[in-house]
Amino acid sequence: MGREVSESCVDSLLTEMVSSYCNSFYANKPDLAARRIEAIGYQVGHQLSERYTMDRPRFGDHLEAIKFICKDFWSELFKKQIDNLKTNHRGTFVLQDNRFRWLTRMSVEPTPESPDASDDPESKASQATSMHLYFPCGIIRGALSNLGIPCAVSADISNLPACSFVVRIKV
Amino acid sequence: MIVCVAVVGHQNNPLYIQSFTDADDALKLHHIVHCSLDVVDERVNNPKKAGPTLNETFLGLLYPSENFKVYGYLTNTKVKFILVTTELDVKDGDMRNFFRKFHSVYVDAVSNPFHVPGKKITSKTFAERVSTLVKSFGSSSAA
Repeated sequence: MGREVSESCVDSLLTEMVSSYCNSFYANKPDLAARRIEAIGYQVGHQLSERYTMDRPRFGDHLEAIKFICKDFWSELFKKQIDNLKTNHRGTFVLQDNRFRWLTRMSVEPTPESPDASDDPESKASQATSMHLYFPCGIIRGALSNLGIPCAVSADISNLPACSFVVRIKV
Repeated sequence: MIVCVAVVGHQNNPLYIQSFTDADDALKLHHIVHCSLDVVDERVNNPKKAGPTLNETFLGLLYPSENFKVYGYLTNTKVKFILVTTELDVKDGDMRNFFRKFHSVYVDAVSNPFHVPGKKITSKTFAERVSTLVKSFGSSSAA
């Protein structure tokens, strides 16, 4: 029986990490902040994959490893599996989660005043949300690279709790 | 009796190697471990030879030499564990069991946030746990 972690603690930690990196450490360099957050996720994914693959035979090909991420790895992290997996069979995989746990409590900030202000609140909100997605992207990339699959991972938000991760395997 | 255990990274870089003999033969044991890496590569890259144990983490007996037997284990993350023993009749089950425990000790060690992936494992706790494991293996199979 593994040890349990309070879900709200993890949520708060993630929120706090993102806000520290974006607002105090690298306040004016969102790219650098994103890269740092992604790197933390990479290390976490790297270590988690070592633990979660302990009792299973080695993977024969990339698809098996991706399936492992979608099923077992995702269940360990979020108590659910990826809802939809698409691939073009040429090294690109789209992992769609219809209710991504780390986004379920995300709310769009109420718009302060006029909607046609210079910086659109809509884009600002989506920027803030995408900041929170660098961490899970890093986790996926870390896990896959530890399994011997170098790749690039990006995230797409369609409508809020749903989100999809695009994995591009480097050849 | 287990005389040597080693952890080797995915680029065949040594992560941890420890011998458990009183005699001054560490170099010889290191040489044996080094040779066994080729056998691991051969097993993994020739799926035909592997037969029913295809893709299993436990690789079984890699090769016997005059005084030693060498066993191997390859994790999903391409980390190799090599074990050299002087015992000539060891049950595969016991070996599997040992490697499973060893793997979990290894996982605990690399999950330390201060451990740098791909670098040597310097944790004292890891060394202690490994030597306890090695000692308990010797006593359980002798009994």
